[in-house]
Amino acid sequence: MRRSTKIAAVLAAAILALAGCAKEETTDSSDSGGAGLDCDSASGDGPKVGLAYDVGGQGDNSFNDAAAAGMAKAVDELGATCTEGEAQDDEPESAREDRLRQMADGGYNPIVAVGFAYSESVNAVAPDYPETSFAVVDGFDPDEEPNDNVAYLGFAENEGSYLVGVAAALKTETDHIGFVGGVNNDLIQKFEAGYVAGAEAVNPDITVDVKYIEESDLSGFGDPAGGKAAATGMYDNGADVVYHAAGASGSGVFDAAVDAGEGTWAIGVDSDQYLTASAEQKPHILTSMLKRVDTATFDMVSSVADGEPLTSYQTYDLAHDGVGYSTSGGFIDDITDEIDEYAEKIKSGEIKVPTAP
Amino acid sequence: MRARQLNHLWLLISLGAILMVSAVRILTGAHGIDSIGTIRAAIIATCPILMAAIGGLWSERAGVVNIGLEGQMILGTWGAAYFTYYYGPWVGVFGAALLGAVGGLLHALATVTFGVDHIVSGVAINIIGLGASRFLAEAYFTDLEGGGIKQLTGLETPTRVTIPGISDGAEYLADKHWFLVSDLASLVGAMTTDLSLFTVLVAALVIASAWILWRSTFGLRLRSCGENPAAAESLGVNVYRYKYAAVVVSGAMAGIGGGFLALVSSSGFTTGQTNGRGFIGLAAMIFGNWRPGGTTAGALLFGYTDSLQLRDSTSVHALLLIVGIGLVALALWRLRQGKTTTAIVMGALGVAFLVWFLTTDSVPKEFAGMTPYIATLLVLALAAQRLRMPAADGLRYRRGQSI
Repeated sequence: MRRSTKIAAVLAAAILALAGCAKEETTDSSDSGGAGLDCDSASGDGPKVGLAYDVGGQGDNSFNDAAAAGMAKAVDELGATCTEGEAQDDEPESAREDRLRQMADGGYNPIVAVGFAYSESVNAVAPDYPETSFAVVDGFDPDEEPNDNVAYLGFAENEGSYLVGVAAALKTETDHIGFVGGVNNDLIQKFEAGYVAGAEAVNPDITVDVKYIEESDLSGFGDPAGGKAAATGMYDNGADVVYHAAGASGSGVFDAAVDAGEGTWAIGVDSDQYLTASAEQKPHILTSMLKRVDTATFDMVSSVADGEPLTSYQTYDLAHDGVGYSTSGGFIDDITDEIDEYAEKIKSGEIKVPTAP
Repeated sequence: MRARQLNHLWLLISLGAILMVSAVRILTGAHGIDSIGTIRAAIIATCPILMAAIGGLWSERAGVVNIGLEGQMILGTWGAAYFTYYYGPWVGVFGAALLGAVGGLLHALATVTFGVDHIVSGVAINIIGLGASRFLAEAYFTDLEGGGIKQLTGLETPTRVTIPGISDGAEYLADKHWFLVSDLASLVGAMTTDLSLFTVLVAALVIASAWILWRSTFGLRLRSCGENPAAAESLGVNVYRYKYAAVVVSGAMAGIGGGFLALVSSSGFTTGQTNGRGFIGLAAMIFGNWRPGGTTAGALLFGYTDSLQLRDSTSVHALLLIVGIGLVALALWRLRQGKTTTAIVMGALGVAFLVWFLTTDSVPKEFAGMTPYIATLLVLALAAQRLRMPAADGLRYRRGQSI
């Protein structure tokens, strides 16, 4: 018994220590993924951009790819050059800071950090490099002191989610829909709030099941089996449309829709997921909530190219084309008019979409 | 004779558990706690954990601690994806086992031949497994249809079968929500509706492992290497060879668990999709006292609670009642045995759970997510006094050494 205790202690310590420090890596380049960004072959005289991805990196078919797409556009149109770095699961805060410092020391400007998880590290690094412009996609300023050289590129995900909520409520035949979130944090709750509000605007009596795969552990964004279990539960209980904001776990949600059979739908997130889904999944992907991370990334680079870098909070909302919904597959062609009516009302301010459930 | 008594005891406990669950279901109206869908989801969630746990059993019975299960599982997910894409799902299962076995071989090489500390090697395997799967995915999946740097989706799944008459009948009975009948019908229904043949394979592998390890000469020799390798050596057992065999099989089993994740739990490969299930498998094995029956029970407990909290958080509330009743019953049993202190602690805990159940309507979702871990902690805390690992587990063995 004593030996097993000792082993357990060593095991726990070893895992903690090694998981912490071992997986840190900064890749200078990576093969072109879905977004087709290849930093190695970019050789313009535009801004030198450091692109720090969140966990998943280029090839995640989601918001990292969207950032890469915006960057690819900047390479084409502004002659920008770039370097890439990518966060690992469970990496310590210091690894993110190191990545940003390496880029800043390498003369990259601007540095675009993709993902809210960079908020703290940008806040720590930015004051040391006053000449460099930073941007954090989905980011926020964690303290009271404003940073003059940081832009927080936020999106009105609640507004985009509202629109797919409308679509879900119009399409459901059981008046029962679902939402699967990856991790229960403020950001993902924003998706939930908009979705529920949109669905209830169409049908106040609609039932919306809500489930988060993990409460705080970011691994909830990379667990397709968990996504499938959660969504299958909803379909079993009578829901026929499930919207996910769960990153890579979302493919499990699509699988659940496939298993649930004809007439069940899933809604994608961040990018047009119909385009990247498998042939089996495609007939079930009603629409996707689009978050134009590419627009935001391109804007940031072009603002630096123009010599007037963006700073502080920038919100890419419906009115600025920062969010939207996709129509690939043609499943919602019959209701786009109605959805657009709601969109107009949001743009005009007639409808205020809540940001928290 | 003792074995038969033990079997009777298990049968009684299982029956008691089903009766209790049924009663709780009727009492609370939480029919989700053992509906067909819930049990199906529980089985699917259990299989990967169970395979990892059985992998751990093989290795540790031969005296090698294998915390590299997670890494071997990750290798298995990649192997399953690669081979399924080109040759179909059954070759994919083989590919998962193959890649897992490579991870096992690496662990065996380090621990048996070079005498590296088992924990150090295992941690290294976990890191190598993750890194290798990322590298291999980027190298081989990027340009495939449905592929990307980090994923390969849309894989063909192994055949699923539904037994027509029985499945429908069971579903009909289960929907009646009758006492006991519906619960048993749910069990039958879950096993006859849309059952993946991969699940059947997992069950077969578990039974085969149990038989080989405990009923065959090979198994006896293998286990002797985990209890007293020097004595085994003196009787002519080639300890190194047995340890190698055990650890390679261990890796293959964990790899198959990873394959299950990529082929049945979801239809695709994503880097890091194991999400700690290898470690959970290790815990399930310890929970099961390094024995196949207990290990299976442990994996089921994890799989059930994890899928239940994901599917249906409202049913988690009904679990409080089950846990409460179970603890009180255990306390009474311990009291009869004369173990007053344990009985009092358990009884108090049980009453606390009952009070919690009675005074609330739902479990906060922050707690619901912890269900699998709390359940394990509770059971481990109550059973840990009786756990016994193989005597030479985790120790370095050099040929010719005396104890």
